[in-house]
Amino acid sequence: MVEAWFGVLCLMITFFVILDGWDIGAGMLHFLVAKNQDERRVLIAAVGPLWSWHEVWLVATGGVLFVAFPRVLSIAFPGYYLALFLVLWTLVLRGISLEFRGHIDDGMWRSFWDFVIVVSNTLLAVLFGAALGNVVRGMPLGPEAELSLPLFTHFGVEGSVGILDWYTVSVAVFTVVTLAAHGASYLTLKTTGDVHDRSRRLAGRLWLAVAVLLAVVTGMTAVVRPELFSGIAGRPLAWLTVAVVMGGAGAIGTGLRYGQEARVFLGGIAFIAGLLATAAVSLFPVILHSTLDAKHSITVYNGSADPASLWAAAWWWPVAFVLSFFYFGFIGKHYKGRVEVSKDSQQPY
Amino acid sequence: MTGDPALWHRLQFAFTIVYHYLFPQLTMGLAWFLVFWKYLHWRTGNAQYGAAARLWARIFGINFAVGVVTGIPMEFQFGTNWASFSKYSGSVIGQSLAMEGMFAFFLESAFIGALVWGEKRLGPRNHFLAALGVALGSWISGYFIIVTNAFMQHPAGYAVAADGTLKIGSLSEYLLNPWALIQFCHNQAAAVVTGSFVIAAVGAFYLLKTEHTEQARLYLRWGTAIGLAAALLVAFPTGDAQAKLVAHHQPAALAAMEGRFETGPMADITLIGQPNVKMRRLDNPIRVPGMLSFLAFGTFHSNVQGLAAFPEDTWPTNIELLYYAFHVMAGLGTIFIGLMGLANLLRWRGLLETARPMLWVLMLAFPFPFIANTAGWMTAELGRQPWLIYGLFRTSEGYSKAVNSGDVLFTLIGFTGLYFVVGLLYLYLVGREVMHGPPAAEVL
Repeated sequence: MVEAWFGVLCLMITFFVILDGWDIGAGMLHFLVAKNQDERRVLIAAVGPLWSWHEVWLVATGGVLFVAFPRVLSIAFPGYYLALFLVLWTLVLRGISLEFRGHIDDGMWRSFWDFVIVVSNTLLAVLFGAALGNVVRGMPLGPEAELSLPLFTHFGVEGSVGILDWYTVSVAVFTVVTLAAHGASYLTLKTTGDVHDRSRRLAGRLWLAVAVLLAVVTGMTAVVRPELFSGIAGRPLAWLTVAVVMGGAGAIGTGLRYGQEARVFLGGIAFIAGLLATAAVSLFPVILHSTLDAKHSITVYNGSADPASLWAAAWWWPVAFVLSFFYFGFIGKHYKGRVEVSKDSQQPY
Repeated sequence: MTGDPALWHRLQFAFTIVYHYLFPQLTMGLAWFLVFWKYLHWRTGNAQYGAAARLWARIFGINFAVGVVTGIPMEFQFGTNWASFSKYSGSVIGQSLAMEGMFAFFLESAFIGALVWGEKRLGPRNHFLAALGVALGSWISGYFIIVTNAFMQHPAGYAVAADGTLKIGSLSEYLLNPWALIQFCHNQAAAVVTGSFVIAAVGAFYLLKTEHTEQARLYLRWGTAIGLAAALLVAFPTGDAQAKLVAHHQPAALAAMEGRFETGPMADITLIGQPNVKMRRLDNPIRVPGMLSFLAFGTFHSNVQGLAAFPEDTWPTNIELLYYAFHVMAGLGTIFIGLMGLANLLRWRGLLETARPMLWVLMLAFPFPFIANTAGWMTAELGRQPWLIYGLFRTSEGYSKAVNSGDVLFTLIGFTGLYFVVGLLYLYLVGREVMHGPPAAEVL
């Protein structure tokens, strides 16, 4: 049962990263691919109708963590107190920037919100990347299972670590570039004209950068958590997830080579999903890894809720999960195809 | 930082939730107006309904966005600021919090984009369905939040696990907590009061300015009619039932709400007076004899316990604030019934549109439901003190021990600054939409 809930948690995180990932990516590229007000409106219309549905995956993941692994929540959330508030404030800014920008047709007003869109989305990618880095690196969990991490200390991965060190910052950079590449692939599919051409060129370059960074970060991970790699041989599932990453990368490569935009986009999704799955499979059953002593780590077994509560949630969760795709289907049907300013204008005056 | 760390955690949570709740109460109140107007527009083709839905959908969109972005921190603060509480009760209250995300937010957030952006893409039938989806989502969301709160007020459906933390005993008992059912009805009626007052205020504003007069009549008609019905429902049966629950299950809270220290039959209800906790009496009281006994337990002779009947460490921690919050809520609730009653009387006589003083009052009255609802929320939450989960778990044990007070103060200041700016922008944008009036169909 707890294994299933770990799977659910990973599945939901993956949905969030992939779906909101392209909104974040598109937001980061706001200035790079859209040069004037009309083009920026296209970018916003490309993410506008669905970004809030995407963001809910994060909120719902928080809910599932709450109900299935309350101990993880009660250790990690205070432990990463300031970082979490940075995430929350950034989410506030991103949300209102997308909504508020369209309400006033004024150059200065819009430039301001454009700037907020770029900054908040980039910061979100940095923060989520650093979070992933922290999960992989681990944290100084002692027998008291209480945690309070400073934002940074000496930037080393040994001893009194902070949230940011050379490893977690590297993962953050990797995340920024990957989500930007993902966003560029999405915009390539969703737009026409100059925006499309710029997105397409950028997608090619960014995915190339992702390939280089992936090699670097994999090497770093081998230094920081060598046991993740030695353990992989005994986990056939890990071979499968690595194959998905390779397959995704291959699809991106050939898609870029032959100009197949949908293949690049789908390859990117497989690539990101595969990476997250590889991380999940190699970390399992540990959720919060203790850098002090492995016996203080919080696993799916000692961090989970009582079985009664897990079973109760097992009744309603699948229903809600399936329902959410019905809503998405209803809405998604109407937003198929490329964005058109005439149809997707948000400014009625 | 000196002082009690729990205080800073409480202040931060109180500030962020009071601020947050200003928005969903309006969203939940406006939602069904939008649904009905979209429906009537679709079925009758009457352009007035379409225009009304369009203006209010834009205001709804701004309001919804601020509600969502200020709501997300609330969920995470359970973990960041109230970690001990989350560890103790997470596998129970996590159920309703996760259900809110999975059942309500997906529904709301999928359709809000379509409602605000998609009139042209969706067509009248699907656009109506989008409004319906958002309305259902926002009310379902409200229900799950109230279930969570009701558990803290009156725990139901739980069991104690081997390690001393709580686990789910019965999910249906948890979700159908009688406290939640009554509080939900009371709360939603109050949200409709907010929506009605805001709509009526805009109608009155347009009439006073003699702009968009057709729309103004529509807003006044719907705002005052539904406003009166909702204001009555807030008081009876929902408010009355809620008060009886408090009387039965949280007697110390009731005593504090009424500023009552002594125990006995023929308990008075207080209209005016200032609680004096040090002297254990009510200063300058004006009372109605016996009414409290009657309202709480059905007869004038029933015994109502005063605060003196309870050990002092189980008294609500802020009796004065609780007393005033309750009286502000109840007093404003009564005024709303009178005000909406008078507005409807004038409307039936055909006098409302020319009764300029009444229009001024309606226009200026819109902030008061927000105040009343905030006071109501404070009554519920202050009344629960000193318990985080009534009778089970104290507030003083619930906060995150690992977080130092300075960090909490820092984030509290951060929220204050951010929310202040967001609030200004919100008022400016909504004001602008109102000034502009309903967008015409052809430019959409």
